[in-house]
Amino acid sequence: MTDNNSEVQEPITKIDKLIHEPSRYMLLAYLYVVEVADFLFLLRQTGMTWGNLSAHLSKLEAAGYVVIEKEFLGKKPHTTVRLTDQGRNAFEEYRGNMKRVLDNLPAK
Amino acid sequence: MIEDINLKEIQRKVYLTFFQDGLWDIFLGLFILGWGLSILTEAAYLPGVSFLGIYFAIWGIKKWLIYPRIGYVRFSASSRRRITARFIIFLTVVLLLGIIAGLVWGIGTRPQWLADYFPLIFNGMLAAIVCLAAYWARVNRFYLHAVLIFLGAVFHLWLGIRWEFGFIGAGGIIVLIGLGILIIFLRKYPKMVEEAQNSDRQ
Repeated sequence: MTDNNSEVQEPITKIDKLIHEPSRYMLLAYLYVVEVADFLFLLRQTGMTWGNLSAHLSKLEAAGYVVIEKEFLGKKPHTTVRLTDQGRNAFEEYRGNMKRVLDNLPAK
Repeated sequence: MIEDINLKEIQRKVYLTFFQDGLWDIFLGLFILGWGLSILTEAAYLPGVSFLGIYFAIWGIKKWLIYPRIGYVRFSASSRRRITARFIIFLTVVLLLGIIAGLVWGIGTRPQWLADYFPLIFNGMLAAIVCLAAYWARVNRFYLHAVLIFLGAVFHLWLGIRWEFGFIGAGGIIVLIGLGILIIFLRKYPKMVEEAQNSDRQ
């Protein structure tokens, strides 16, 4: 019984809470399948508000999961976002842990 | 949550944003239209010129009209390689088709059946190429475009409509479909310049 509990709990304790938030998970999923996306693209795809998206990206940037680059195209500001290697590894690890947690659940 | 978000589905969704503006439909339609006009006017250079001209124009329009509305995304290196390889194969097949058609049509003595059914064979091959593009791009409406192109030859053989008018008709309809999709796209995604600037200041 104890063994079973630790088998289930061990991956749970490893779950990255930063990624576990649905909006951030969705953002990372989009960034995982592309090389780089701009702010507007993420906004359109995720359906978040500007403020929400900006706040989530800032948290992911602070954790080192994404890199936000700002540039000017002519006179217009342009923000691009890309996943870092650390972010890519964290995302893969999160998915692996979640899968193990779900797989270890007893059948009904 | 993890079951809800399928990465392949997201990749497909991102990929399809490339085709949701109707510009590639307009590209195909104008190319087919150009083909019809080249037969009509006997200007053999028209398909090539229209293909290259429209292709570069499409990229310009994408940058000017589309990216400010839905944003910009660069696919991963492996996806880009796959897309480029497919595009090169696609172009090669189109070029080979043009050369074969030119050679077959140019030879003095050809079997009667070939002369009779050449439009059907040619449009069929063109439709097959468009089907290939539809399959690779995973854009189902391109199958409809392929049917329209094939119907041009069917109408020519069985209803007596001139072959070139089949191309012009099919190309015109495809352009209209593309324009319709473009109008819906522009209404659905207005420019978001102000907000983008505000967010960039954060």
